[in-house]
Amino acid sequence: MSSVYLVLPVVLPIVGGALMPILHLPDKKRNLLLEILVLLTSAIALLCVYRRPEAGFTLFHLTGNLDFALRLDGLGSVFTCLIAILWPLSTLYAFEYMRHEERTTSFFAFYTMTYGVTMGIAMAENLVTMYLFYELLTLVSVYLVMHPMTKKAIRASRTYLYYSIGGAAFAFISLIFVIVFGDTTDFILGGVLNMEKIGNNVSTMLFVYLLSFWGFGVKAAVFPFQGWLPKASVAPTPVTALLHAVAVVKSGAFALMRLTYYCFGPDFIRGTWVHFAVMSIAMLSIIYGSTMAVKETHFKRRLAFSTISNLSYIVLALTMMSPLGLLAGISHLVFHAVMKIGSFFSAGAILHQSKKEYVDELDGLAKKMPFVFTVFTLCGLSLIGIPLFAGFVSKWNIAAAAMEVGEQYPYAYMAVMVLLYSALMTAVYILTVAIRAWFPDRGKELHSNEKITDPNWEMKLPLGLFAITVLVFGVCSEPLMQVFRAVVQGTF
Amino acid sequence: MTAMYLFLAAMLLPMLSGLFLLFFQGKLKNRTLKCILIFLVMALTAGLTVRLMCFEDYQLVLWHLTDKLDILVRMDNMTRLFAGMTVTAWTLGGVFAFEYMKHEEKEDRYFGFYLIVMGVLIGLDHAGNLITLYLFFELMTLSSLPLVLHTLTHDAVMAGLKYLFYSVAGAFLALFGIFYLYAHGAGLPFCEGGYLMVLDAYSGSGKMTLLVLMLMIVGFGTKAGMFPLHGWLPTAHPVAPAPASAVLSGIITKSGVLAIIRVVFYTVGADVLRGSWVQYTWMTLALITVFMGSMMAYKEQVLKKRLAYSTVSQVSYILFGLSVLNQDGMVGALSHFVFHSVVKDCLFLVAGVIIYKTGKKTVKELTGIGKEMPITMWCFTLVSITLVGIPPTSGFISKWYLAEGSLQTGIGGYAWFGPVVLLLSAMLTAGYLLPISIQSFFPGEGYHYQELRKKEPNLLMLIPMLLFTAAAVVFGMFPGRFLGFLQMTAADVIR
Repeated sequence: MSSVYLVLPVVLPIVGGALMPILHLPDKKRNLLLEILVLLTSAIALLCVYRRPEAGFTLFHLTGNLDFALRLDGLGSVFTCLIAILWPLSTLYAFEYMRHEERTTSFFAFYTMTYGVTMGIAMAENLVTMYLFYELLTLVSVYLVMHPMTKKAIRASRTYLYYSIGGAAFAFISLIFVIVFGDTTDFILGGVLNMEKIGNNVSTMLFVYLLSFWGFGVKAAVFPFQGWLPKASVAPTPVTALLHAVAVVKSGAFALMRLTYYCFGPDFIRGTWVHFAVMSIAMLSIIYGSTMAVKETHFKRRLAFSTISNLSYIVLALTMMSPLGLLAGISHLVFHAVMKIGSFFSAGAILHQSKKEYVDELDGLAKKMPFVFTVFTLCGLSLIGIPLFAGFVSKWNIAAAAMEVGEQYPYAYMAVMVLLYSALMTAVYILTVAIRAWFPDRGKELHSNEKITDPNWEMKLPLGLFAITVLVFGVCSEPLMQVFRAVVQGTF
Repeated sequence: MTAMYLFLAAMLLPMLSGLFLLFFQGKLKNRTLKCILIFLVMALTAGLTVRLMCFEDYQLVLWHLTDKLDILVRMDNMTRLFAGMTVTAWTLGGVFAFEYMKHEEKEDRYFGFYLIVMGVLIGLDHAGNLITLYLFFELMTLSSLPLVLHTLTHDAVMAGLKYLFYSVAGAFLALFGIFYLYAHGAGLPFCEGGYLMVLDAYSGSGKMTLLVLMLMIVGFGTKAGMFPLHGWLPTAHPVAPAPASAVLSGIITKSGVLAIIRVVFYTVGADVLRGSWVQYTWMTLALITVFMGSMMAYKEQVLKKRLAYSTVSQVSYILFGLSVLNQDGMVGALSHFVFHSVVKDCLFLVAGVIIYKTGKKTVKELTGIGKEMPITMWCFTLVSITLVGIPPTSGFISKWYLAEGSLQTGIGGYAWFGPVVLLLSAMLTAGYLLPISIQSFFPGEGYHYQELRKKEPNLLMLIPMLLFTAAAVVFGMFPGRFLGFLQMTAADVIR
């Protein structure tokens, strides 16, 4: 397959989304067109992964040896697949969810453009390209947070903007230093730094890594830059679910993988003070996120805090600076995407059908919406990490990686402790909701005249698929793991 | 292969029937037919389990969860003991519930989850490596939760959540150990006497291993109600419907014991622990629990709560027997597992009968109740005597072995301190159980014999109680073959 095709998944949604407001189509036609566009993009993206062009495709030269180029490698393929599969499902869900909202055309325009930009991050060949798409992602997704146009939403979008732009500035520093001290800015497994060029600037480089870790980490909501994420949960659920549980925040985690394993190289960082610093940052985020989630009573915000802690599982895994750590990171990247989007969509379906948004209002609701709550319970059990669910497999991988590193640096044992603490907190904040929904106190049952039902098929289909995926990967994840292992070894 | 299909049938039959009941709640109108069907499922499961116990020892990989994690089942003497006890008690508790659940709502939900837990427990008893054990352990916590909060009063739901969070916290402590042990090559099937120290791959430091073992003992000990994570037990057991409290106390707490046995004697090996700080801490925790549990039971006035505290104390007898790490202690522990299961099941069933027939819940109200339901209270009295440990009942035998085991350790003060605590606790046991019998049969002067009415329950309730009582007494008089089996088992795992 020619490498020119790589451009399509990036450009199609951006152009299509941009054209949408100009066309002035009626809602039904617009939805059909959008779904076709998104499906087409996904099909091309998956085809690109299936018959992967070895070479990259350079769109244009910025200056000197800085190219704006796309290329698919192992890690990029995994992220591309994840996005390509989840996006059409979320779009389908969004049609139903947004039916009664205003300004849907501009919403869907930006929603679709975000798809293209995220693809760009997944397919970026070098740090420059990734950085550009990273900035773009902030700009296109900021409208989606703002969409309800309430005061709260506008404030949240402003917070989001400040955090992200600030983070990008930090990230930019690393770009400069990699250009100066690296052989190339292309992503190469194992890192591109040239020790001769660095000479005695090692400690400077380590500090730069820390800065850029925080810079790219803003989108992955690492401590102390997590503040924007819970606020942004005012956005419509398709946004909070897809963008703030998968696309945007996972782009942050993905960028950190690129930065750590493909630019600086794990060998450069292992055992230095920065190694322990970033590990501690990840642990702090996990503890903060899961503890706050227990405290929070707003359902979607609770899930947002849960996302903070789970994103840092990924970050914690990759701060192990070992192949096993990267493997664990990738597996949690994928599995968390599925289970968190499943639980967010359940929360959204509940909000959409019953207008209830606080957890203490949900007592007994499972009797009315058994389908949604079954999905929520399954995804929740997976989030906790009960065996036979996907979450257990990725947590096992993270713990295995930490145990391996712990042999050399016992500090990593702390990581496992933190992981288990967070799992306990997850059990508390998920199961209290699930149990009280299924088994309400006497006297707290809902009145039978309240007409609340399960949503229609457009919402049920994605939900059902996510629940099945969580179960299937929980029981049989080996084929997927083989792919990930190949990615980590650079043979995929 | 036959064993595999039989195992799957024994595990899945109750699970699927339970799920079926849950999906079609309230659809099956004919109650008698429903009860017969449920009984058939339980009896068939019990039959299949007994058939499995007759096989030679085997080991089967059911499924590869990932490349390193196998779901593996195993048959050995420990499985036989625990699985046999589980299906017996479960079936009898189920029969009792046919009558008892008439006065509770939503009995379909109760029986649905009751059957599911039965399947899960069969899986747990057959678990052949740490990850399988952990899998069923978590499933057991989740599926037994609805039994605890069945009445759906505010207290019950809160107690259910407390049960859940304690159990999950304990399981996660243990999971840390499992992570550690797997990272050091201990992902192999269980093996009598443990294998960690002979592994080539094993390179971990001894100190870390000991710490991890302590975490695992405390973690799995949560389910067994061991201090310091015992708090859930006196809250959760009394709020459940009586037949559920019976199996929760009698069987489910013992799965914590099974898990500890599997870790200490089948994975790590008793030699690693012997003489270490972990052993001393474990013994201390067990003794604290024994004493504290009986003290609390002595002070408690609500009958079911008193029995729950008694469980806290008695299960730690078992744990103490394990912690001395010798054959006699092991025999004592295993026999006390069986005897306590039998006794505590029966005691909770009696408490259930009293609630069902009279609605009385506190000890004070029970004056003269022996005149109204003599057979029931005779059962109560006999099993109480067993629990105190008066010969010739079975409790005497287990306590004898426990004391023997403790004296053999030769650890300075502990060797005699253990038996002293056990005796003190036995005295307290007599103090919190026997007065109930006495006042129920000898109500004293204020009792109006004119108002006496027979309130004996029907056969569905009587038969399980009578069988439990008979077992408690008969095992004590003819323990020969049973003890022989236990001694053989103990000799296999502790050399």
